[in-house]
Amino acid sequence: MCHVSVGHVARILEERGIATVVACVAAFGHYARQMPVPRAVITPFPMGRPLGAPGDRETQRAVVEAALRLVDEAGAPGTVIDLDLPYRPGLG
Amino acid sequence: MGEAFSEFKDSFSYGSRTDLTFKFLRMLSEEDAAETIRRVLEETGSLFDTGDPAAVIDIAIRTQAESYGSRDLNERYRYEDTPFTPPPAPVAESAVALLTSSGHFVEGDDPEPFGVVGMTQEEAVARIDDFLRETPQLSVIPIDTPADRLVVRQAGYDIRGAVADHQVSLPLSHLCDLESEGVVGRVIPDAYSFVGATAQGRIIKQAGPAWADLLLEAGTDAALLVPV
Repeated sequence: MCHVSVGHVARILEERGIATVVACVAAFGHYARQMPVPRAVITPFPMGRPLGAPGDRETQRAVVEAALRLVDEAGAPGTVIDLDLPYRPGLG
Repeated sequence: MGEAFSEFKDSFSYGSRTDLTFKFLRMLSEEDAAETIRRVLEETGSLFDTGDPAAVIDIAIRTQAESYGSRDLNERYRYEDTPFTPPPAPVAESAVALLTSSGHFVEGDDPEPFGVVGMTQEEAVARIDDFLRETPQLSVIPIDTPADRLVVRQAGYDIRGAVADHQVSLPLSHLCDLESEGVVGRVIPDAYSFVGATAQGRIIKQAGPAWADLLLEAGTDAALLVPV
């Protein structure tokens, strides 16, 4: 339900003139596409850790950067991309 | 009479064996749930020799994704149109806000759901049905909040990763770093978090529009949204 909630927030913010990007895990990537949300990056990580494993600063940052790049680069609503990044627990 | 296997697998989803990482077992057929458990046990056995948990983690992540992925989004939440606002300027020149459904709040600023003071994660999980009917509250989190002052409580997911490192869903310092490096023009000084397990009608009609007002008043051009 979390992903639907955030999807609705994304849609409302866009209607009000704020560009949005959602960063979510693969389990709910289909929700981002079916709703759809305006822009999203999908990570192959477990629920609750959408940006990467605890302590994996490098991957977390890479996801944030990819999401923000999508704000600049997406040319149409419903732009959803899958990120191919490793899940690296145990670094924290 | 002993417990049926269907009861066993279902008990991980808000039942006698609640485990929010594995609540997806309820979605699986008995055959698929049994096969998932068998594979996890098999790979756990291999751990004795390899010491490498990657295969177990991979099974859990893949099965989680496949389980949720097999369930389409409710028709009522599918829309013909998609609002789309091109950013007024590149992100490097924009004011960027962070909003997550992680359930974080700052120590001493507990939203106290249902008027309960000091609600624990376990108590929150036990009240999942109440959360799903409630109007969500937005917690304000200054972006320079020290990690040891952050608290997370959310009835909809396994919070252990967020407890270990808030930046798995609330990337405060990453955004600050990106601002100092010029990748982001400016980070809105307050980040926001709410409990995403909530009533959709209340998000659409009440909370969402109010939060949009808040972000606009803060001068937000773009927002990074992180569901969990």
